[in-house]
Amino acid sequence: MRGGAWKEFETERLARQMRIGTPLEASQRDTNQPMQNRFLPYLLTLPSLFLAAVVIFWPVWDLIQISTHDVNRFGQLREFSGLANFAALAADPDFVAALWRTALWTVLVVGGALLLSIPVAIILNTDFYGRGLARVIIMLPWAVSLTMTAVVWRWALNGESGMLNSALMKLGLISQNIQWLASAETAFPMQVLIGILVTVPFTTTIFLGGLSSIPDDLYEAAALEGATPLQQFREITFPLLKPFINIAIVLNTIYVFNSFPIIWVMTQGGPANSTDILVTHLYKLAFRIGKLGEASAVSLVMFAILLVFTMIYVRLAMREQRA
Amino acid sequence: MNSKMKRTIIAWLLLAPLVAVTIFPFAVMFLTAVKPRTEVLTPTWWPSEFRWSNFADMWVATGFGQALLNSLYVSALATIGAILISVPAAYAMSRFRFGGYGAFRQFLLISQMISPIVLVLGLFRLMAAWGLVESTTALGFIYMAFNVAFTVWMLQSYFDTIPRDLEEAAWMEGAGRWLTLRKVFLPLCLPAIAVTAIFTFINAWNEFVVALTMLRSQESYTLPIQVFSLVAGRYTIEWHHVMAATLLATLPVAILFIWLQRYLVRGLALRAVK
Repeated sequence: MRGGAWKEFETERLARQMRIGTPLEASQRDTNQPMQNRFLPYLLTLPSLFLAAVVIFWPVWDLIQISTHDVNRFGQLREFSGLANFAALAADPDFVAALWRTALWTVLVVGGALLLSIPVAIILNTDFYGRGLARVIIMLPWAVSLTMTAVVWRWALNGESGMLNSALMKLGLISQNIQWLASAETAFPMQVLIGILVTVPFTTTIFLGGLSSIPDDLYEAAALEGATPLQQFREITFPLLKPFINIAIVLNTIYVFNSFPIIWVMTQGGPANSTDILVTHLYKLAFRIGKLGEASAVSLVMFAILLVFTMIYVRLAMREQRA
Repeated sequence: MNSKMKRTIIAWLLLAPLVAVTIFPFAVMFLTAVKPRTEVLTPTWWPSEFRWSNFADMWVATGFGQALLNSLYVSALATIGAILISVPAAYAMSRFRFGGYGAFRQFLLISQMISPIVLVLGLFRLMAAWGLVESTTALGFIYMAFNVAFTVWMLQSYFDTIPRDLEEAAWMEGAGRWLTLRKVFLPLCLPAIAVTAIFTFINAWNEFVVALTMLRSQESYTLPIQVFSLVAGRYTIEWHHVMAATLLATLPVAILFIWLQRYLVRGLALRAVK
């Protein structure tokens, strides 16, 4: 009888352990091998830390060194120069222009993609024939590398024999060829449009995830109450989508801010630096002109801006987690 | 039924402009790739005949095979390395609580946000200091490092969804941690590991700026750099070859991506709310 009760207790305990297997409990149970448990997680994460430290921290440290020293174009450090490189940047009209253009580029692409993706996600979230196909088509630009996309557009926008000109001519929209990439007035807007086009898939995907979490009965109840579709959007869809919109804005801002291939492949920042953004300006400073000090200063400025964006993202994500 | 038909028409009408703009570059790419050389520079849309031999000509003329091999090597190296490094780290983060856990997560987040372009000068100097410029192996290691944050994240978010009961049952049967890991845990994670590996592969396959900086001679070019070099700074550009090359370099990866895209979404969604 006693033995039976004990057995019952023991099975009950085991069953409970199996149900609630928290990590804490797992480590408590293994206390017969304390060494292994204390050090194992560090051992397991060590390789990833090591690799990242070499490939990410070492360059950051190096950039700090270069940017605060006088440096020749072969990268030899001379005497400490404080913030002279940063001051040179602030006085360089090309840098200031690139900085503003980066802000414009980021705001236009992120904003444009946002405005386009909300309706697209709402449409793709409704039930219609060929929805699977529509989703695949909308996602296509995400599947292609930016380099290849930019190469194709560079050809499509070719002034003499580009297929955009010939299509627009055939449709009667223009009467003579437009040299799209020959001046910033047409090149930059085109780059922004292409930027928007390749940002839409990711943004739409995030919103589709958000929309699928909104229960249908909310809309049914609202419809019963006589709410118009516009009211439904304002009162239900938009507020519930808002956290996803925030996250899309921050992540897209980071991606677009860093985006190099579209502008580099299509115009290399030209003509006459008129489509340069920070990344292309940085690349030219470092590998064309050989002003390593200023290039490292640009890198660090960008690094600081990215850290701010990242902190905003962490804030938003944590608020999301609490909610 | 009737209302669904109506919805279908409205939906496609509304999506039509975006669909047209999305398909346009693919049409340009395909039609130019199969045009006879003499028609490429005339602004017509439809080729008079489909010149499939363009692909074979391009393969020889542009050294596509070598670039393809380089891309495969770099991407495979980055993928295998990133997975080998990330699986233990993700396992530790999912199954242990340890001091520095939070710091490690923050560290991953930050290294995820830093794009290689910001560090490219420092990376170049690092590689130059070790005499590794031109080395596709070194490039593979750089891609590995920049993908580790992503892979750890994807894997951890999946590992967290695997119930602990199974492993604990195995422990109680007397299996050690290593045996449990090999016989119980890893087999369950195989699909997630495969999907994460494929995304890492695609990331490495598509990367541009680091390859552009590190690889200086044609023998070491990866596909994006090879295609770019056909366009940049050339007096005459053989556009039908360029488009044939972009098409070949893009198609397999694009199909993989479209096929697996929903898994990426799931991983990203899990990450967004973590």
